[in-house]
Amino acid sequence: MSADLSTTSEAMKSSHIVCSVRNLTVTYQTDAGDFPALHNVNLDIQQNQITAVIGESGSGKSTLALAMLNGIALPGRVTGGTISLSQHGDVLALRGKALRRLRGPVVGTVFQASQNAMNPLRRIGKQILDLGRSHGYKDPRILLREAQLLAKKMSMDPDRVLTAYPHQLSGGMRQRLGIIMALVLHPEILLLDEPTTALDLLTQSAVLQIIQSIHRERQLTTLLITHDMGVVAEVADTVVVLYAGRVMEEGRTAAVLRHPGHPYTRALIKAIPRLTGSLDQARPLEGSPPDLTMIPRQGCVFRQRCRYRMALCDNESPSLKQLEDGHLTACHWEGQSDD
Amino acid sequence: MKGFWIRLVRRLAGGLIMVLAVSSFTFFLVHFMPGNPVQTKLNTLLESGTPPLQAEAQVRSMYGFVPHTPLYVQYFHYIWQILHLNLGQSISYAGVPVLHLLLKAMPWTVIMVLTGLFISFIIGIAAGVVASVNRNSRMGDGLTMLSTFLHGIPQFILALGLAYLFTTVFRVFPFGAPYNAAITPGWSAAFLASLARHAVLPIAAYAISGFGGWALAMRASVSSVLGDDYILAAELRGVTPAIRLRYIARNAILPLFTILTLSVGFMFGGSIFIETIFDYPGLGYMINSALAARDYPLMDGAFLMITLAVIIANIVADLLYTVLDPRIQRI
Repeated sequence: MSADLSTTSEAMKSSHIVCSVRNLTVTYQTDAGDFPALHNVNLDIQQNQITAVIGESGSGKSTLALAMLNGIALPGRVTGGTISLSQHGDVLALRGKALRRLRGPVVGTVFQASQNAMNPLRRIGKQILDLGRSHGYKDPRILLREAQLLAKKMSMDPDRVLTAYPHQLSGGMRQRLGIIMALVLHPEILLLDEPTTALDLLTQSAVLQIIQSIHRERQLTTLLITHDMGVVAEVADTVVVLYAGRVMEEGRTAAVLRHPGHPYTRALIKAIPRLTGSLDQARPLEGSPPDLTMIPRQGCVFRQRCRYRMALCDNESPSLKQLEDGHLTACHWEGQSDD
Repeated sequence: MKGFWIRLVRRLAGGLIMVLAVSSFTFFLVHFMPGNPVQTKLNTLLESGTPPLQAEAQVRSMYGFVPHTPLYVQYFHYIWQILHLNLGQSISYAGVPVLHLLLKAMPWTVIMVLTGLFISFIIGIAAGVVASVNRNSRMGDGLTMLSTFLHGIPQFILALGLAYLFTTVFRVFPFGAPYNAAITPGWSAAFLASLARHAVLPIAAYAISGFGGWALAMRASVSSVLGDDYILAAELRGVTPAIRLRYIARNAILPLFTILTLSVGFMFGGSIFIETIFDYPGLGYMINSALAARDYPLMDGAFLMITLAVIIANIVADLLYTVLDPRIQRI
């Protein structure tokens, strides 16, 4: 696996790696035993790129987001690996104030349902001031002015939304304010944990456009966690496919979408409904999403739902191998797909 | 703002109806009570040779009605008197207006119960937060156990225990009476010091017996707020522990404010056990002696006042909530 990885970084030497996750394993302790939510995950996040992590619920993608902030709490535990940021060292080794200073100014987070991610008893402007006070701004009102500009850019009335309580705003507005709350601290990395999941389709596309334009304008490095291949296709430069806490495939989005190497990726792509043509063309993936307690301890974790299952899959877990430059997949199947 | 006034007026109207309903209930309760205390009193007066007209006048001023007019006339007369703040005259303190007695007893209760209530509230809130935040540590467990224990001890046992310990075993505090009778009441330092010394034990008894309940309620409330997304989100946005704690406390304390306001209302019932044990001449003490002396007008008056206080407290709680929780304002 490590040999494959070194070739990856070789191939992508041209762009700078801001964050590299190495052999990350996170285990959840339950009464029935310990279950890994992430297993030996390796991931490179390149500067000025939108990297998407896609997976079903239970794939470990939210655990990955939490780990990026060193926020895994019991019953979860990081049992191995590192997450190094180019300027700040291993995130998982940070404690106390150093950790607090990472959260916000270095890694800015936008949460899945922003309506629940804001203090219901405090005006949004005040919560932004709290961020300024927490991160050592002499005059926290600078953040407020910045938030006003951002709000205007996102076509909201700055005075109204910043003096409002969260419950007085629509879901789309709150999500945009969630993005603003992450951006005012000028993070190096923007971490978006399912930023569009709680939104209707129109709001969703508006929010995606905002994310894209801000990303370009501020030259951010963005990590987007999602379960929606449509979102990935729309905004991501690079995509990492996660299944049962393991990386199944990774590569440039265009390459992965055009020539998916892993049967799971293929199934995810097929599940996107098309605007033209019959809805029946969208095919759901058979079987149920991975359940931590049901993941096979040996062999390929996807084999029970895989149509290309071979005898080898039962015993040996496939390692990531290169299909083309920077496009890796973890599958034993080498034949051409019949569809 | 318009909504606020409409709400207030609606609540006040509702409160007035409640007060009338409770006073009517009290009226009929007294009227149908076995032995008919009004008739008994009238008979006693007549037997003792009081002229009938004078006896009737005396009974009327005592109960607010006279027995041999029709019931509805008596009832309306009684209500009419209440609306004029005339609560009749006491039996045990012959000839003294009930209202006067209530107003005289009230400051003692307000001093003792209000102080005790706020001390127990503040200590309880702090203990609840600490117990909840450290609920996997020995300190958290200890605080929870202590709270449960104190919450479970009946108030009068606690008060007797304190009285025994600090007035008999260790003679630290004086027992009984609200102040040293040798000192003339007034704004002198000696009198105020005596007042404070005599108030320590009753207040302590009230605070200690109340704090466990607050601590347990706050602990539960904090535990539920700790699981809310915005607390985790604040943490992951790098908010300082102090600000995070403020977010938690502010959200968790919300449901407890309603209970606190209602407790202030129930305060006007005094604390029968503590006031009686420490000979503290507050409302609880008075209700207890009124019960013993079958002083019905005084009882009626005290109950009416409790009703009024609780209803007002309810309205205040309701309005306070709209200030504390912005989500309720727009209803």
